[in-house]
Amino acid sequence: MNDLFIDVDYAQIYKDGQKIGGDVFLLSRNPENNQIVCTLSDGLGSGVKANVLASLTARMAHKLSFSPMDLTHSARIIMNTLPVCKERKISYATFTIADLRVLPSDQVAMNLVEYDNPGALVFQGSRSLQWDVEHIDLQRDGAFKKEVLGHSMLTLPIGSRLVIFSDGVTQAGMGKSLPLGWRLDGVREFTRTQIEANPDISSHDLAQAIVCRAHSLDRLSAKDDITCMVVYVRRPRRTLVVTGPPFIKEHDGQLVQKIKDFEGRKIVSGGTTAQIVSRLMQKPLKVDMSCWSAQVPPCSMMEGIDLVTEGMLTLSKVATALEQKKPVRSMTNDAVKKFIQVMQESDQVHFIVGTKINEAHQDPSIPVEIGIRRNLIGRLRRALEDVYLKETSQEYI
Amino acid sequence: MGKKEKVHVQICVGTACFVQGGADLLLYNEFLDPAVLGGCEIEGVSCIGGCKEAQSKDRPPYVRIGEKVYGNVNQEMLCKLLAEATRA
Repeated sequence: MNDLFIDVDYAQIYKDGQKIGGDVFLLSRNPENNQIVCTLSDGLGSGVKANVLASLTARMAHKLSFSPMDLTHSARIIMNTLPVCKERKISYATFTIADLRVLPSDQVAMNLVEYDNPGALVFQGSRSLQWDVEHIDLQRDGAFKKEVLGHSMLTLPIGSRLVIFSDGVTQAGMGKSLPLGWRLDGVREFTRTQIEANPDISSHDLAQAIVCRAHSLDRLSAKDDITCMVVYVRRPRRTLVVTGPPFIKEHDGQLVQKIKDFEGRKIVSGGTTAQIVSRLMQKPLKVDMSCWSAQVPPCSMMEGIDLVTEGMLTLSKVATALEQKKPVRSMTNDAVKKFIQVMQESDQVHFIVGTKINEAHQDPSIPVEIGIRRNLIGRLRRALEDVYLKETSQEYI
Repeated sequence: MGKKEKVHVQICVGTACFVQGGADLLLYNEFLDPAVLGGCEIEGVSCIGGCKEAQSKDRPPYVRIGEKVYGNVNQEMLCKLLAEATRA
């Protein structure tokens, strides 16, 4: 597994009264060459029309970034392809593309292309960096203005952040609390104080904080779609998930040793497994009756383990929630919520899967979802990798 | 007269028990008589192990009251068992 992790997340609030956004964010990871491409596009206007423009733009920009084609050529193709707005007689969507590649030297090479979005911000720790942007002029046939693409190549060491946002952020509060809106300087200062107050703030939290602040400047009634994306280059946060007892009893000690040796957060999922760990680590196991729901049994507490849950039911609900990308804040306070919170706060998840069969689960009268542990872990891993872009690994014991 | 010792009760929250009625038992605060509830010390336990004894004629959910394990426990039965145990 990599010793460097690129944490990417975004937050978005639609224009007041709209049910669909005109800002579109796309993210893909190409694991073969450690490449990540994130695209933020803002379509002209708002609602469905803007969403169509922005989706088209973002999707094209995204696909073209994975091809070896020259960036300016890609940009020209995008601009010529966009449909024309009936009222304004123009075709228009802004975009920012960040193409990130992990270098062997624990750094990330970033290729940044900006077109008419507010300028991206780069932070090294809480210090905001300035850099020279190469301007590329594009003259299109019949265009209503000359386009200028900003192109920059930067190297991001560990601890740096890239913040990209739509004009809904920089123009927040315009004409209300602030004459010209929040402006780039306002966003930069706010981001700096956020990072200073919490140096390890995740991309998710930072993007949320910026978007919420912009929304409050707009007095909770957004005048435009507000979207913010954050990339954070850092050391990976590791989590170990142990589920199921080892196939033979003699391996119990080996399992506990692996748990003890692991550096990072530890989850034990499974009643019997928890009892084995508790017995061998000589730490009492206490069921926390304050945290359960009708769907999943309560969590337990044990010294040295961050989270102890029941096994199959909890894992199956976790897999479903991850696949559906359910927001944590809408969940009831139970083991599934706690499990997902830990997953979201991790970058690399290692599963140790016990292969012993639980006879009590072979009863035909209990729900089908208590299936085969290995299938369940497969679902979990796929969801974590495909939906949340986490790195996962697995071993059987 | 010395203070009466509380009855120690463990409700199994293992998978097999939870899906076969154990979840209902965890609502003990709602269905147990407060006087009975006051005389018990109730806690959850990861697995009592009853479900793994192939010969056992009992079925989940399992509850341990004092030293004795009961199977097929539902809310009504738990009320009765605990009322008896606290009276004794």
